[in-house]
Amino acid sequence: MSDFLIFAIFFAVLAVLNLYRLAKGPTAADRQVAGDSADILVSCALVLFSLYSGRGIYLDIAIISAMLGIIDTMLVGRYLDRGRWHYDADSDHR
Amino acid sequence: MRKTTFPAVLATFVVCFLFWIVLDFSFKVEELVAGAVVSLAVALFSARFFIHEKAGWFFNPVKLFNLLFYWICIFPVELIKANVDMAKRCFTGCTNINPGIVKIPVDMKSDYGQAALANSITLTPGTMTLDIAEEDGQTYYYIHWIDVTATGKEAGDAIKGNLEKGLRRVWE
Amino acid sequence: MLIRIIADVLIFIGAIFATAGTIGVLKMPDTYSRMQASTCISTLGMLGAALGALLYAIFVMGSASTAIKVCVIALLIFVTNPVGAHAIVKGAYRHGIRPEKPMEVDDFRRDFDE
Repeated sequence: MSDFLIFAIFFAVLAVLNLYRLAKGPTAADRQVAGDSADILVSCALVLFSLYSGRGIYLDIAIISAMLGIIDTMLVGRYLDRGRWHYDADSDHR
Repeated sequence: MRKTTFPAVLATFVVCFLFWIVLDFSFKVEELVAGAVVSLAVALFSARFFIHEKAGWFFNPVKLFNLLFYWICIFPVELIKANVDMAKRCFTGCTNINPGIVKIPVDMKSDYGQAALANSITLTPGTMTLDIAEEDGQTYYYIHWIDVTATGKEAGDAIKGNLEKGLRRVWE
Repeated sequence: MLIRIIADVLIFIGAIFATAGTIGVLKMPDTYSRMQASTCISTLGMLGAALGALLYAIFVMGSASTAIKVCVIALLIFVTNPVGAHAIVKGAYRHGIRPEKPMEVDDFRRDFDE
């Protein structure tokens, strides 16, 4: 039974390692990618920990975590898109 | 504003209702009725944003089987090959890379087919779709590739592999 | 018992690919290569853990709601991840983020920069 706990701790440690890139990364895109990866790793760790402890509430938290991860990635992507390059409004490249 | 058609509403309703059942997972009559009402309302308001073309392929068993075959047999092979390649690059010091952006031609007319192919390419590690452009009736993808070994049509064959063949059987 | 061993092996494979992706995110030289490496985490790293958990939930726990919720998590990440990756790579390129060592082949800049 405790093998799931070991794997869950391993995934959580990988998520913490990703936070190093989130703190250091030179650009906003680096930080966002590292945060997204940490989000997915935390979801995996929650699934495994739910199997270890036998409580279903962690699965719901994992679903919500995955949903919020995609939303903030889309937000930062759209924000960066209004950046330095400005195309013509009637160009077919939007 | 686009018009709301009946097949689009039906397809959106089926997807929403299945998602309700999966999340709720109780089969009492009251909860099923409440889910049906909410899904119908959501489908009536939002079907015209989701379904643009004819939605009939959703109920065609042959195309659905082809899509399932693509998801079970063709795509995982490419996914595992690309993942092993990427993991080798990561474990050997992240130095043997040669990144670049290439432009490849794509023979796919349907919007859904183009979206599915672009997402499949993005999902395999090592390739990532930047943009879709159209020139003279021919569709082009701009793709960031971690190890550029060719350009133009050969790059297209190397990146797409079997993916495009499998998807053309569904949307064409 | 056999199911337990298969599930452990699947989760171990997922952990190996997640480790590879984390090393790539930490050590790759430029922004776009880091994004490519992070795809490794969200495909096979996540899929290995989810498949192992699914086998365990079906055959050992025998709980249908757990199995279906694990399926929903895997499908959700698998469907939405390329959309976010596409948005952020295009946003980063149009914001003006370039790698320190210029790319040899860059068709996008050739077509749209001038």
